[in-house]
Amino acid sequence: MTTLAFAILLVASLAAYALNRRAATTIRDGGARLHSVSNYHGLFALLLMLVPVLVVILIWLVLQGPVVNAMVMWALPAGTLDGLDTGQADLILAEIQSISGGRIFGDPEPWKLAAAAHLTELRELAALGLVLLTALLCLAIMYVARRKVAAGFRARQGVERIISGLMIFCSVAAIFTTVGIVASLAFETYKFLRLVPLTEFLFGLNWEPQIPIRADQIAAAGAFGWLPVIAGTIVITFVAIFIAVPIGLLSAIYLFEFAPKRIRSVAKPLLEILAGVPTVVYGFFAILVVAPAIRSLGASMGIPVAPNTALAAGGVMGIMLVPFISSFADDALSAVPRSMRDGALALGATRAETVLNVLFPAAIPGIVGGVLLAVSRAIGETMIVVMAAGLMANLTLNPLESVTTVTVQIVTLLIGDTSFDNPKTLAAFALGMMLFIVTLIINIFALRIVRKYREAYD
Amino acid sequence: MDALRTVTRDIDTNSTKISARGVQVHYGDTHAIKDVDVDIKERSVTAFIGPSGCGKSTFLRCINRMNDTIDICRVTGDIRIDGDDIYDRSIDPVQLRARVGMVFQKPNPFPKSIYDNVAYGPKIHGLARSRAEMDEIVERSLRRGAIWDEVKDRLHAPGTGLSGGQQQRLCIARAVATDPEVLLMDEPCSALDPIATAQIEELIDTLREKYTVVIVTHSMQQAARVSQKTAFFHLGNLVEYGDTDDIFTNPKDRRTESYISGRIG
Repeated sequence: MTTLAFAILLVASLAAYALNRRAATTIRDGGARLHSVSNYHGLFALLLMLVPVLVVILIWLVLQGPVVNAMVMWALPAGTLDGLDTGQADLILAEIQSISGGRIFGDPEPWKLAAAAHLTELRELAALGLVLLTALLCLAIMYVARRKVAAGFRARQGVERIISGLMIFCSVAAIFTTVGIVASLAFETYKFLRLVPLTEFLFGLNWEPQIPIRADQIAAAGAFGWLPVIAGTIVITFVAIFIAVPIGLLSAIYLFEFAPKRIRSVAKPLLEILAGVPTVVYGFFAILVVAPAIRSLGASMGIPVAPNTALAAGGVMGIMLVPFISSFADDALSAVPRSMRDGALALGATRAETVLNVLFPAAIPGIVGGVLLAVSRAIGETMIVVMAAGLMANLTLNPLESVTTVTVQIVTLLIGDTSFDNPKTLAAFALGMMLFIVTLIINIFALRIVRKYREAYD
Repeated sequence: MDALRTVTRDIDTNSTKISARGVQVHYGDTHAIKDVDVDIKERSVTAFIGPSGCGKSTFLRCINRMNDTIDICRVTGDIRIDGDDIYDRSIDPVQLRARVGMVFQKPNPFPKSIYDNVAYGPKIHGLARSRAEMDEIVERSLRRGAIWDEVKDRLHAPGTGLSGGQQQRLCIARAVATDPEVLLMDEPCSALDPIATAQIEELIDTLREKYTVVIVTHSMQQAARVSQKTAFFHLGNLVEYGDTDDIFTNPKDRRTESYISGRIG
């Protein structure tokens, strides 16, 4: 029945389009000069119908379920729900719903069967109501829209207004989603900070979140200082950037300026494939290939190396970031006007001098923007570190030791038995909030640099 | 024609600086320059005129081998500067471009300071042995570019902050800083207003004292004002080449006459 409502709306909109278009064409053929071409008259009718009726149908569909349920529960024999809490009432409702859906288990009481029949009846009524409402609305709007067609009617501006309204709605929806995410994070963080003081969280040197969540569990008392965790993130990010930036930049410069066409046509798609490798696969690569290799290399040189090193996780993350940085650098270099290159070459500079002394400095704000975006990706990267970095929060800056990161801790804190009233679980949200703040600051910096750069040549 | 001139000049020397014989340029399948022969005199201004797409800029870019930087471009024939074949294997195009400076249609200062813009060429060619010497080169070049007085107090301000005409004079100063023998100018005034254009034209006339200048221009008045010799290109052919006065007052070829009187192009 819902499908029918949508079908009616679709057909009616198309009909309204055709009707108004025809009417406008008739006016034009009668010799009058139209303000808007007839196509706009048709589009105006189409949008005028499609948008509001769609909204009405969606609102109806959202409200239909709760309203019908409430009516069913209200119509139950008096006294049935006395003394029951919401959970038990919901259970009864669910049973009624499944009976109405034809799934009868055991021998339900007769009042339940009656309620189920009532539910089925109400649902059919609602569906019929929806179809009728849609049809009526469509007819009314079609009439209104048809009445508006006149030589002087500004259908073009009307269409413009409706479309800009739609666009505003879409951007507002995106913004509200962001606000909602941040608000929920902030709320949980607030709950966490009531249990653990802010000073302990920000300045504490120990991270031992595995506290008991039931009375019969045996675990440590817990410590929630985020410094060892963020230190791990910083070490791994540093290793990743240290590997990604030189490789990414040099490969971009080579491909941009020096590579023969044949090599470029092979190497560029290969780099893009690297960008398409899922991070889980990078994680496998880190634990199965890179970590053992680093370990045996360290052993052969007599250096003690932890099984899960920051070096392995960061190194593989660096490889993941190479295509990111190289494509950013490539864009930045391509955006430098050709006249810059010609100017340097005409002064007798070699290609390498041209790239290093003229193109690269001109592109550097764009490249720095790309690097900062890569940093915020490295900080937020989860899968590689979950697989390849350790779980122990070590306050160290040595990349050969095992460290843990903010994202790894968030994942481990929310896996398994959780309850949302103890600091162990809530700590995940506090960490998430900090991560959000750090990457936000880096992103703001990056965007400012990129924007400054864009103004340079326009 | 003399009425248009800022100064009446004669050609100071008669020796040939650049000589081209049978030059052909292909862009992919397009035959852009067809068998061009030309002798360009030392310490004079030679103007290349002709309708858009006639190949005058392409030919100009052959003289400092800038066409080498375009993959699909193929140059054949013989171009000599002071008798040396510049397309010979023994010639390094990078060295050649230090001897043959170029100024482009759109001012293209590097996003560096005014000082660094001018010092860039001397630096990469190792022309200055000390900081003081570099300062001297920069000042001399900026004076030759007729822009020293306007920028001497802000040598470390970015070159991109100057006005269009100043930027173009900065680019000329940058080009003369490597002490070239030849200066190629590819429509140097087409992006400038009339006042800046007049300044550049005056500058070109003074540059003639030291350099062999070759200028591509769309403006026939400009060619008449600044040049001693004029070459008229049409559809990749060098149609007519001679003293500027003769070309403008007494053209021998019908196509030249049509172009300068505004019937083609």
